[in-house]
Amino acid sequence: MEIRLAGITKVFSPEIVALEDIFLTVEKGEFVYLIGTTGSGKTTLLRLITREIVPTRGQISVGNRNLRKIRSSELPYYRRNLGVVFQDFKLLNDLTVFENVAFVIEAMGVPPRIVQTRVNEVIDLVGLWRRRFLKPMQLSGGERQRVAIARAMANSPSIFLADEPTGNLDLHTSEEIIRLLLSINAAGTTVVVATHDQYLVDAYRQRVVELHDGRLKRDEKRGRYVIDGEL
Amino acid sequence: MGSFRYIFRDTLRLITRHWGLSILTLLTTVTVLFLLGLSSLFALNLRHMVSRVEGELVVQAYLKGGSDATALAKRIRSVSYVRDVRVISPEEALDRLRAKLGNQARAVTLLGENPLPWGLEIQVEKASFVSMLVRDLVALPSVEEVVYSGQLADKLSRISVLATRVSAVIMLLGAVISSLVIFNTIRIALYSRSEEIRVMLLVGATRTYIAFPFVLQGLFLGTIGAAVANGVLAAGYAYAVNVLKLTLPFVVLLRNTPFLIKFHLILLGTGMTLGWMCSWFAVSRFISGANRPE
Ligand SMILES: Nc1ncnc2c1ncn2[C@@H]1O[C@H](COP(=O)(O)OP(=O)(O)OP(=O)(O)O)[C@@H](O)[C@H]1O
Ligand SMILES: [Mg+2]
Repeated sequence: MEIRLAGITKVFSPEIVALEDIFLTVEKGEFVYLIGTTGSGKTTLLRLITREIVPTRGQISVGNRNLRKIRSSELPYYRRNLGVVFQDFKLLNDLTVFENVAFVIEAMGVPPRIVQTRVNEVIDLVGLWRRRFLKPMQLSGGERQRVAIARAMANSPSIFLADEPTGNLDLHTSEEIIRLLLSINAAGTTVVVATHDQYLVDAYRQRVVELHDGRLKRDEKRGRYVIDGEL
Repeated sequence: MGSFRYIFRDTLRLITRHWGLSILTLLTTVTVLFLLGLSSLFALNLRHMVSRVEGELVVQAYLKGGSDATALAKRIRSVSYVRDVRVISPEEALDRLRAKLGNQARAVTLLGENPLPWGLEIQVEKASFVSMLVRDLVALPSVEEVVYSGQLADKLSRISVLATRVSAVIMLLGAVISSLVIFNTIRIALYSRSEEIRVMLLVGATRTYIAFPFVLQGLFLGTIGAAVANGVLAAGYAYAVNVLKLTLPFVVLLRNTPFLIKFHLILLGTGMTLGWMCSWFAVSRFISGANRPE
């Protein structure tokens, strides 16, 4: 599914304009780095896509859905197309690794046997097989990040959104995670990664979208630069 | 079908994970429903006693000589608020008079021919009907005189109205308080899991799927609360009936079993309905709030 933002502005309060006049299209199957200094609006942009927030001005559509007009009864079904790694993970501390991943697809009404198979598969993929019965508090930071990734992958989403999935990780682990995201992308999933990590952006070259103070500063695609929104 | 298994599992988790809170709520629900039941039973018994006394309230009508007592009794019996009409023949009236006079009964014999008239004893359903009945009786040509205790009838009908109102107020208050208690518990449960609810909404769980375990939890609390309250009430009531029979024999409690069973079923139904509705209300408000975009 493709993501289209046209003239998006998000104003939280008169003094806080988190995004201003953003035009951005992410094609189906693309891999995009979303970079920018802290407070530049990366998380805000991702939260617009998950429809946690609605834009103050402008149009946003994902696939053929206009997110401004989506009904609240449709929202769960829309969100099942997305896999999201939140900046703060949002893991449930009462549940084990297995349960944290499982409840996403359980909520879709998938039968227990299929849940079992699928959850084991993604947990194995992120390398947490031996940790699957531990709770988030018993895991290291990198392990928690990988649980969040496994959870976002579990429903085989068409769009994968990751907010700082390598924050606070050492280089080796960060690279592992980026390779994991690239493999998800290789399977046909659209991937948007918000990151601060300039090294990774340079090492694993993909399209780069840079935000600065809520404005689109740079959109680098296959060597071409777009500055301040002009082509 | 998978969903139902998950929903029941999550309900069980909700109840057991915060079992301290669950038990506290259960105790509160039991207490409130117990008080609700107790006040209802009290009010019902008060009304029962008033109506018993009312039932014993008798209007006596003495007929003019030569009128047909049986025909008149039949006519009066067909009036809707009349419970019973008894014809008192002059002979019966005389027997009663003798019994009343005791060892002076001889005096009666001195009267010679029986001078007493035919009479009717009329019982009404409620004290408030007495004055109406008396008015109608006085208007009848064959009625000579009507005897009744007007003050007692007035008082009883006032007590009866008051008892009905008081019991209605008590039941309403009890229902409101139990609703608030259950509503609040579910709200606490919701807040303690607000993060989980937000995450579930974000990953595409439907409102119904999220709400169901909480609603079931509320239903569970209401049902168990009412069941325990019923048990305590039934045991306490049986005890009270026995004790009162020995100590205050003139206070007669309701002992109509089908009626009491109905009472317990209504209390159970009230608990279940309150549990279900309060939690449903709390959950849908909470989810709407969590789901509202900024
Ligand atoms: N709910 C909100 N209410 C008010 N202001 C907000 C809200 N969310 C974000 N902002 C503001 O919008 C701006 C952009 O925030 P955002 O979280 O998108 O930044 P970011 O690029 O993700 O930063 P970081 O790299 O530190 O995660 C910030 O100045 C922030 O304070
Ligand atoms: Mg951010």
